[in-house]
Amino acid sequence: MFGEGLLTGMGVTWKHFWGKKETFCYPEEKLPMTERFRGGHLVLDHKKCIACSLCSLACPNQAIKLKIVPDAKKKRHMQSYVHLVGRCLYCNLCVEACNMHALSWDKNYAISSWHKEEMEDELVTAEGLAYFHEVMEKAKAEAEAEAKVAAEKAEAEKTGGDA
Amino acid sequence: MPKTETYTLSMGPQHPSTHGVLQVRLDLDGENILKATPYMGYLHRGIEKLLESRTYIQGVPYTDRLDYVSSMNNNLGYCRAVEELAQIEVPERAEYIRVIVAELNRIASHLVFIGSLANDLGAVTGMIYAFRDREKILDLFDLVCGARMTFHYIRVGGVSADLPPEFAAKCDEFLKIVPEFMQEYEDILTGNEILQHRLHGTSPMTKEQALSHNMTGPNIRAVGIPFDIRKVDGYGLYPKFEFDVPVGENGDNWDRYRVRYQEIYESAKIIRQALDGLPEGDIMAKFPKVLRPPKGEVFSRTEGTRGELGFYIVSDGSTKPYRVHIRRPSFINLQGLDDMCRGMLIGDSVAAFSAIDPLMGEVDC
Ligand code: SF4
Ligand code: SF4
Repeated sequence: MFGEGLLTGMGVTWKHFWGKKETFCYPEEKLPMTERFRGGHLVLDHKKCIACSLCSLACPNQAIKLKIVPDAKKKRHMQSYVHLVGRCLYCNLCVEACNMHALSWDKNYAISSWHKEEMEDELVTAEGLAYFHEVMEKAKAEAEAEAKVAAEKAEAEKTGGDA
Repeated sequence: MPKTETYTLSMGPQHPSTHGVLQVRLDLDGENILKATPYMGYLHRGIEKLLESRTYIQGVPYTDRLDYVSSMNNNLGYCRAVEELAQIEVPERAEYIRVIVAELNRIASHLVFIGSLANDLGAVTGMIYAFRDREKILDLFDLVCGARMTFHYIRVGGVSADLPPEFAAKCDEFLKIVPEFMQEYEDILTGNEILQHRLHGTSPMTKEQALSHNMTGPNIRAVGIPFDIRKVDGYGLYPKFEFDVPVGENGDNWDRYRVRYQEIYESAKIIRQALDGLPEGDIMAKFPKVLRPPKGEVFSRTEGTRGELGFYIVSDGSTKPYRVHIRRPSFINLQGLDDMCRGMLIGDSVAAFSAIDPLMGEVDC
């Protein structure tokens, strides 16, 4: 009979009309993200980072711009870590490259922005920066102290030699 | 005596049923199509060139963006080519996982085909059903690799992470509902008189025509040639699994639809066997972090969801490929559009695009 198929199809729709709901109201209800979800913003754990720049070297699209400065004791520290969101492929290679596990995703997928200037994400937070200055100062103080000790030692040796 | 003349109609690049940005110039005699010429290139990103300026390992995420509906299969094709070039032996567990995710992705891609075919023919409801079920596969992938598209899961040498513990149960759950939702498509789409009318006998192709255009994948199987690289080359673990290669008879749009429909069942069969036989072990081969394949070239092909997906890679011994060429099945299948459209009506051209199932990301590369 012509139209039988159409009616069967409508039967399916009818069944679903009364059945379990397949959708949910998005902005009000949100799905939890999975454990491995890669997306949202990168988060840097400043205390773990050793400024080795492996993450930036692993990035296929040069989406990570780093500013690394050596302290007075020639140890390297991360001053600025910019994630260029617009260039990012969300491939996870940076996160996997980090041996210190200093990088992670914040899983907040709503990252669209109005302006392209907002697509540069600075990962070093105010706290991170404070930490950065703290370690820089500490290294400076230590280096100065060491230099002083060395100088005193040299002085002592000199005077000792004279006597 | 009234004067008659042919005229041209430009379809696309913003036409809703051209699956992305494809422009087709139709030469018409009234409602009848005399010639259909596809104009491509609107989505060209130069992926081959991009791959040449990235290391082998960095190149994998770009292959996600070729055929973005079946990224796993693209990852697989590229990784297999690099592995052949660098002679990397992939652990068995990784091979099993690859089969599972690649076949799941084939199902997802065929569901998109069914959905978009229904949509293009005016049955929006049909599309929603197919996308509902594809969503379940995307949930599985999200669990496995943390992404719902552009998976970057299959890596050179293996896969990026082991399957999470809850995966097996969830995948099993999905396989159980496959016959259920497939029956629903039978009821809502296959039996539908309008769909049958639009697909039966439209855009038929002979074996010779399909071969002359070098079509592959479901498009060649629809004309009755059982050409499936999983069987022909028997790469990876596929010879271990039992599955059939569905073929069509008349080579019309109906057969193209039915072949893909049957393939979903076959893929589900493969996944079931792979899940049951999944061995323990490593998921990543051991090879130097900085990969420098020896000088040489390789052409490796796999059965992508849309046909023969081939990667030709030339290595000059450095960390980056010297040349990459990708044999994209969508691009080559699309060459058959003209033959499929000639003599048909304007409305049938929409069915023809849909039945070829080209993906513009792959066509333009
Ligand atoms: S996810 Fe990939 S593209 Fe994005 S910053 Fe990390 S390595 Fe670069
Ligand atoms: S790889 Fe890790 S430790 Fe090294 S610079 Fe990047 S975030 Fe810091």
